[in-house]
Amino acid sequence: MPYIAELEKAGIPTVLLDLEDQHNMVEQEARAQGVPNIRFLPASRTLPGPDDVELFTEKMLNALTDPLTEKENESGHWEPPQPRIIFEGTMDDAEDFYQQAERIPHPVNAPIAIYTDGSPIRLPTEERVKKMLTGTSHKPDEIITYQKDRLTMRGQLKKGDPVAFQPMGWNATVEKVATIAVMAGCKPEHLPVALAIAESGCPIESTHSLGQWVCVSGPIVEEIEMSSGCGMLGCGNPSNMAIGRLHALMARNLGGAIMGVNRMPSLSSPFTRGAAAAENTNGLPPGWKGLNEEAGFNKDESAVAVFSVPAGIRGVQHSPGGYRALQKSGHGGMARRLDVKGIPGPHNWLNYVLPELWAGREGPHTIIMIPEMARHLYDIGFKSKDEVYEWLWKQSFMTVEQYKKFSWVDFTTNGWMGIEPISGKHWKELPDDHMVPAGGTDSSGFCIIVGGGDEEVAQEIQGGRGPAGGGPIYGIDAWR
Amino acid sequence: MAEDKVYKFLNPVGIQNPVDISPLASRLNNLDGKEIVFSITGEPDITIALEKKLKMDYPQVNWKIKKNYNIEPNRLSEEEMKTVDGLIQAVCW
Repeated sequence: MPYIAELEKAGIPTVLLDLEDQHNMVEQEARAQGVPNIRFLPASRTLPGPDDVELFTEKMLNALTDPLTEKENESGHWEPPQPRIIFEGTMDDAEDFYQQAERIPHPVNAPIAIYTDGSPIRLPTEERVKKMLTGTSHKPDEIITYQKDRLTMRGQLKKGDPVAFQPMGWNATVEKVATIAVMAGCKPEHLPVALAIAESGCPIESTHSLGQWVCVSGPIVEEIEMSSGCGMLGCGNPSNMAIGRLHALMARNLGGAIMGVNRMPSLSSPFTRGAAAAENTNGLPPGWKGLNEEAGFNKDESAVAVFSVPAGIRGVQHSPGGYRALQKSGHGGMARRLDVKGIPGPHNWLNYVLPELWAGREGPHTIIMIPEMARHLYDIGFKSKDEVYEWLWKQSFMTVEQYKKFSWVDFTTNGWMGIEPISGKHWKELPDDHMVPAGGTDSSGFCIIVGGGDEEVAQEIQGGRGPAGGGPIYGIDAWR
Repeated sequence: MAEDKVYKFLNPVGIQNPVDISPLASRLNNLDGKEIVFSITGEPDITIALEKKLKMDYPQVNWKIKKNYNIEPNRLSEEEMKTVDGLIQAVCW
């Protein structure tokens, strides 16, 4: 859309073909780019292409020649009002105000909350926000900026650049984040975490993906009494729950993300309702770095990872008793699969889950495991997380013939027109039996988080850390 | 009474930058002899059929094809910006 707007402003008439359920998004994005009356029409999700083309081609070409209407000829300046105080009234009246919803047409056909994630919030009075702001030394009117140079999918960003919240590219102040922290049910000591999450710009999911979750690492976990133990990805802990709500509330308010308008996950997932956990750094085997250290922070510095989940979450492939039987005496189904019957462990249990990792989708994984299972990997010989990542990545190699049977690869290789990054050769030059990694260009995308317990369970979430030098991990201490 | 007390409540909405609104570019009188770019981004089921139809049914148009298999369109060169008369972008998602 930005490029279409650029062309129109340069005097080149355009017409855009989209999919019908995305009309709301096209209109909103066109408005944001300053060319609100872009001409566009829908293609079908279901009609075979040749039939669809017969239906829309003439109308599409007419869009290049039909004279402009008065509306399409309009120019001007749009500056929305942005009051600091959005409502004045009693608590009861404010509840009604903040719980407003607007009906979003197809593809939602239901109300979507205007200021919340759909659930009731804690009302952000001036007094409550002022108290929340005691949680940081940053000034209320300070714009949220990047605290260090960062490589992102949008390119290189520099320390001090304002954070543009997705999808609308809006900015925010410390006070606005504090306002949202009140709404989420946070305490002032949570605010540095909230500000670090805000520094991510709150990326949202695309049409097919599952949402976001956050994981806090470092000393602040104990300071604010987050849970990194039993049930850490679930409900119950007040800090986990309040911090978990932040992303959704920020995306809605700071980023202008509206489900069904410009936030289009077809099904979405429970992730987007709020998921926050904490890393159990005490449970790390010797030499295994925490998320904070992996991102370049010191062990005594705190950080938060804002993960996007492009595909599924898998887990609990084995019974906990079956895991113990494997490791203690080499019995049971896991031992039979690993061909270690009767041989006491420790055994590399990753071999048991390996067949599932690239059964449906290519890419790296985040593996969450309890301390005992991490310890077993250490005892086998993985003296660092990097060694596990490297092992996993090597296991992901498969033939080009197999690799071509994934779905996303037609897209990620740009229709096989690009260069295969490991060999440096054009994809179309590679023979079918050439080996390529399904786990990413290198092992740096993988991620391990130790937490939960004590039942022997691991979960694998598709998607991991981002590019070296960037990635989804943000320092918390800079926001104290 | 306590429940009648009036409070001020803060605005959580992000800061929206002002936008200058531009009109659309003038439309063409007709397509005869015009250089029209068909910029392809995804959905080959549609775009292969569309490219074929455009070339067959509208031979009077000077079609230029730009192709990508992801959502980022190929940009026009500096020279093309001077010569191109119109652009079709398909399919965006």
